[in-house]
Amino acid sequence: MEFIDYYKLLEIDRSASKADIKKAYRKLARKYHPDLNPNDKEAQTKFQQINEAHEVLSDPEKRKKYDEYGKDWKHADQFEEAKKQQAASGGFGGGYGGGFGGRGQSSSYSGNFDDDTFSDFFEQMFGGRARAEGAHRGGQFKGQDFNAELQLKLSDIYESRKNTITVNGKNIRLTIPAGVENGQTIKIKGHGGPGMQGGPKGDLYITFNILNDTAFRREKENLYSTEDINLSTAALGGEIEVNTFNGKVKLKVKPGTQNDSKVKLKGKGFPKYKKEGQYGDLYITYKVKVPEDLNEKQKELFQELKNTGI
Amino acid sequence: MRNEDLIPAEEICVRYKVERQFVSSLYESGIIEIITVSETEYIHCDHLAAFEKMMRLHRELNINLEGLEAIDHLLKKINKLQKDNVQLKNRLGLYE
Repeated sequence: MEFIDYYKLLEIDRSASKADIKKAYRKLARKYHPDLNPNDKEAQTKFQQINEAHEVLSDPEKRKKYDEYGKDWKHADQFEEAKKQQAASGGFGGGYGGGFGGRGQSSSYSGNFDDDTFSDFFEQMFGGRARAEGAHRGGQFKGQDFNAELQLKLSDIYESRKNTITVNGKNIRLTIPAGVENGQTIKIKGHGGPGMQGGPKGDLYITFNILNDTAFRREKENLYSTEDINLSTAALGGEIEVNTFNGKVKLKVKPGTQNDSKVKLKGKGFPKYKKEGQYGDLYITYKVKVPEDLNEKQKELFQELKNTGI
Repeated sequence: MRNEDLIPAEEICVRYKVERQFVSSLYESGIIEIITVSETEYIHCDHLAAFEKMMRLHRELNINLEGLEAIDHLLKKINKLQKDNVQLKNRLGLYE
C-alpha cells in the first residue's frame, strides 16, 4: 500500500488539535463504518485507513514521528539510531549508513482486518500487529463477518449440489440445497475473519443471485408456464405433450377448454427448500391458437361450422 | 430450537463487557430477541451478529440507543432494497 497522508485523509490541518483530530475521525468513521456500509469494500478500506490515521495522530509520540519524517518513514527508527550514535561518538557528520535492522514496537493485537489492509507506513513504523488497537481494546471479539454473492442458474438448483467457492483466497466446499431462493442468504459458521484475542471466527454469509435460464416462471416452489393448443384440441379435447422442469409429460386436455384456462400438475413444480422429496406444483396456462392461414378445405369446414351456429 | 444455540444473556454481558441494561434496551428496541427458558434469559446465536454490530456502533461511534434503533431500521431497509434490486435485475435480464 502507498504512503498515506493521514492529515489529508482525516481532512484536517497539520496544526490540528487533539480535539480536532477526534472530531474529524468521528465524522469520517460514522460515514465509512463497515456496519453502516454493508458489502461496500471501498468503505471498509477507507474505514481501516481512517482508524490507522487516528491511531497515529491521536498519539503524541507517534504523531511527532510521523510529522518529523513524513515520507521518509521507512528510515525513522534507523535515523534516530544513527543520530544517537553520532552524538555518542562525538558527532561526526554524514547521516546514517546501511544495515537497517529491526522494526518498530509490536504489540499483540490481531485485529479484525486482513493482513494487507494497513499501509506500509503503519506496519514499518508501529509494527504490523499493532492494528485495530484503538477500535477494540480489551475483551474477546468475534472476527469480521464476510459477505459473498453466488450467481447460479435456476436449472442448477433443481437438485442439491456441492460447490467449491473461493472467499479471500480460501476454497470452501458447500452443499447448496435444492430450491434455494433468489436473494436468499445462508450463513456458514466460522468461515469469516479471525477472532480477536482468542475470540471466535466470524461467519460467511452467501447471498444467492439466481438467473432464470428456463421458460418457467418461479414463485417459491411453484412453477408457471404457458402451452399453446390448437383450436380443435381446445374444442374437442385431446392429448398433448407438455414440458415440465425434468422432462416432457402427456396431458389430457378437456373438451371445451377456454383460452387462458389453467391446469395444475401436482408435484411437478420446484423442490421445496430443505424438504427433501417435496415439490411444488406446475401451473400451465393454455393459449388457444386461432388458425391464420386456412386452406380452401379448412375454410369450407369452418363455413359449415359457422352455418351450424358455432 | 436447540439449547446449544442459546447463549445466556449474562454470559454475553461478561464476555463482551457490556451492561445488562444495554442488552435489555436492544431487546426493547426489537433489534435482538431474548428467549426465556426456566427464568434464564438467552440470546439465540443467530442474533449474535446483530448484537455485535450494535455493540460496535455503540462503542466505536458513540451512537446512543435511539440512533442504533434508527440505524437498524435503515439497514434492514437497505438490505431489502438490495435484494429487490437483484431480483429486478434478474427479471429484466429475461427481456434483454
